[in-house]
Amino acid sequence: MNKIIHIEDFSRSGGQLAQIDPAELMPLPPPYDKMSKPPIRQLTDEQRKRMDASLDGVVAIGLTPPANPEEEKAFIDKFLAGLEKLFTIENNWTFLQPLVHTLDYCVKCQICSDACPTYLASGRQEIYRPTMRAEILRRIISKYIKKENSLVRKFKASDIDLNWQTLARLAELAYRCTLCRRCAQVCLIGCDNALISREIRKIFSQQMGIAPKELHEKGAVQQLKVGSSTGMTPAALMNIIEFIEEEIEEKTGRKIKIPVDKKGADMLLIHNAGEFLAWPENLEAFAILLDAAGVDWTLSTEIAGYDSVNYGVWYDDFQFSRVAIRQSLAAKSLGVRKISLGECGHAHKAGIVVADRVLTGDLNIPRESILPLLEEIVISGRVKLDPSRNNFPVTLHDPCNMVRLMGIVAPQRRILKKICPQFREMTPHGVENYCCGGGSGFAIMQSTNFPDWRSAVSGRMKFKQILDAFHDVPGPEVKKYLCAPCSNCKGQFRDMFEYYGVWEKSGILYGGLVELIVNAMVDLKKPFIQWEWH
Amino acid sequence: MGTLIIVLTYIAYVCIVAVYTFKVVGWLRLPPHIRWDLYPVIHEENYRYGGSYYEQQEWWTKPRPKNRWRSIMYSLKDNFYMGEYYKRNPLYWLFLLPWHLGFIFIITFHILCFFAAVSMVAGLEISAASASSAGKSFYYILLATGGFAFLTGTFGSIGMIFIRLADRSLRMYSMPMNFFNYFFFLIVYGSGLFAWLALDPTLVEYRAYWLGLITLSPPVLHPMTVLHIILFDIFLIYLPFTRSTHYITRILAYFYIRWDDEPNQRGSKMEKQLNDLLGQKVSWEGSHIAKGKSWVEVATEPGFPDTKKDSK
Ligand code: SF4
Ligand code: SF4
Ligand code: SF4
Repeated sequence: MNKIIHIEDFSRSGGQLAQIDPAELMPLPPPYDKMSKPPIRQLTDEQRKRMDASLDGVVAIGLTPPANPEEEKAFIDKFLAGLEKLFTIENNWTFLQPLVHTLDYCVKCQICSDACPTYLASGRQEIYRPTMRAEILRRIISKYIKKENSLVRKFKASDIDLNWQTLARLAELAYRCTLCRRCAQVCLIGCDNALISREIRKIFSQQMGIAPKELHEKGAVQQLKVGSSTGMTPAALMNIIEFIEEEIEEKTGRKIKIPVDKKGADMLLIHNAGEFLAWPENLEAFAILLDAAGVDWTLSTEIAGYDSVNYGVWYDDFQFSRVAIRQSLAAKSLGVRKISLGECGHAHKAGIVVADRVLTGDLNIPRESILPLLEEIVISGRVKLDPSRNNFPVTLHDPCNMVRLMGIVAPQRRILKKICPQFREMTPHGVENYCCGGGSGFAIMQSTNFPDWRSAVSGRMKFKQILDAFHDVPGPEVKKYLCAPCSNCKGQFRDMFEYYGVWEKSGILYGGLVELIVNAMVDLKKPFIQWEWH
Repeated sequence: MGTLIIVLTYIAYVCIVAVYTFKVVGWLRLPPHIRWDLYPVIHEENYRYGGSYYEQQEWWTKPRPKNRWRSIMYSLKDNFYMGEYYKRNPLYWLFLLPWHLGFIFIITFHILCFFAAVSMVAGLEISAASASSAGKSFYYILLATGGFAFLTGTFGSIGMIFIRLADRSLRMYSMPMNFFNYFFFLIVYGSGLFAWLALDPTLVEYRAYWLGLITLSPPVLHPMTVLHIILFDIFLIYLPFTRSTHYITRILAYFYIRWDDEPNQRGSKMEKQLNDLLGQKVSWEGSHIAKGKSWVEVATEPGFPDTKKDSK
């Protein structure tokens, strides 16, 4: 059994709080039950000196220890000042009500723990319990913000010693939760520990300027500066679009002009820019299908107008709002009637739902998911489809952001049931799905051994689910398709599948939804999906 | 003694109502937040599988019917049933449910006693031998409610002490306050149970007590019943200072957070409220947030050159 860890241990200096023991991790079916390599790479001594890894030996942020006690004090004071701001309307109206509710009313029943894929897959590592972060925060608030006296603190078991180490571990711990909100879904009190992870991230970012590089500097900042978090400039975008048009012609013989910056188009379609670089076939499929269905659409080349990602939704309210506003401005300048979001879960949730109360006046342009339109195209028969072209086992991954967090559950299923004769569900699925393990930015975070952690721990439950869904055809000789209508999830699957050697051992290809639709199009001569994409 | 319990009871009720009201109003007065809905949203048509209005094309052109009644029933149901606990930790549920039912029924019992007293003033005789069937039924309802409250409350309080110690996850995150509460509530329910079983099997003393309360004439009661009533009054005063307000706030959290799927519309009252909030000055110190600016000013500037230090 994993070591019992108490909150007091978070303040102990030196040493690593939790060890990830391969023997304790949730078992996987064969052939993945016997992995030859250790699940998580050890850091080098040099890395350990430079970056704090005292939580679990893994680095997402990797803070540098303070040089002297003054620096340590300044660090703690700044954190506490940020914590105080979290409870003021002007600084945190955005999440004040859910935050206060969770902190004040959790009854510590631990029901949420059993819902958390990270906690379960880790073999119930105490530090990954959904309530752990909230409990640490509650104690800091009791002692340092409310300044409750020591007797009250004893009565409420809310004592804690705050030092640099405590905060460094807390900062890392805030990045061991995928914000999938499965824990929140089962809480009968309406508390939300995922939100607490986000609020902790927020203090570190908005107050202290600390966030994983991939989310902030290379993510949101780059998106606002260059146009996309991938670093792709509008000029580069145009090149890729040209390439995509050529590819389409080569594959299908069709000459399709992808509409770009088309003023007055009905719909601005925003993709996750990661698709342009990593999965151009998704964009090709969109272009082919929308063209065949006669949809009046356009892409944009404005800042953020060609990249639907919004990393702020995971760590920073201002970065979030900035991106959401830029995306709306892009639509406004084109004079489109609506914005439609491509296959990206968090972009859906961020752009359609969360941004809703930041976009006021004429920035509030109607925004929707592309899935209902895809459903309409498939079900109406507007485009002729032949399901037998998809006659291989297919399962569906539900991106939390699209499903549990915004209730888009049925359209993708109706599509798959119509065009994939061997479609099978995972268990559980729909709003009770398990996260891919790459949520809340993890899929793009590549720091040192963090990718190992998200393959071995946070993605483990999903991985098992996928294998279980294909239990009747486990070997690589039967080619199988994991449909993941989310770029972020696909990023996680790419890394996780490589980590476990899934193509070689099980023959599972991951990809989007629209690829399957186009693959079934009767008037395409060759199959669109190529198993070599793996 | 009779006067003491009358005064104490009035104080207790004023206290519990005042503090609960204060807490609930405080909760409700928190500003609107960013949408953070979580599905299934029970008022939605497709709540069974967790579907939302976003499943339709151009959702903003479609009606969004909300079944409020279903939402209310759903949220109340868990105050009495707690299905999620049953599913996930049945042993815990076995004690937690009676513990909660104890609360609900003891409060209900007292409210019923109040109505009984009012009926008695109006001339109704409440007893097993009452000539009127209303008086008879009232008698049995009171007996059942009170008896059930004492039994479940006592059982639940003992059980909660046991389970909080026996279950490792629960024990690790328990606070001394939890055990204080369990013991205190055990004494409250236990004293009631004892007074009922040993001294007052028809619960006639409670009717006398409530009659005394509404007619302001101090009743003469057995010391054990008096002790229970005093403990119960202290319990009422103490209750709102525990996390018990979650009986109410959990329902608010469902309606105002989890199921709050109301889109912000141009020119709406919400938009005005949001504009006020967006106009407030923020004081975050991260280098990407300009000093002395309002929310909307910060959000509309690009936020660089950025000197954000990354620790890598
Ligand atoms: S968050 Fe909810 S489910 Fe989790 S311990 Fe607290 S009250 Fe229980
Ligand atoms: S949001 Fe998901 S990963 Fe985070 S604590 Fe909850 S269940 Fe676990
Ligand atoms: S990456 Fe995908 S599965 Fe994971 S949290 Fe995001 S949407 Fe959910």
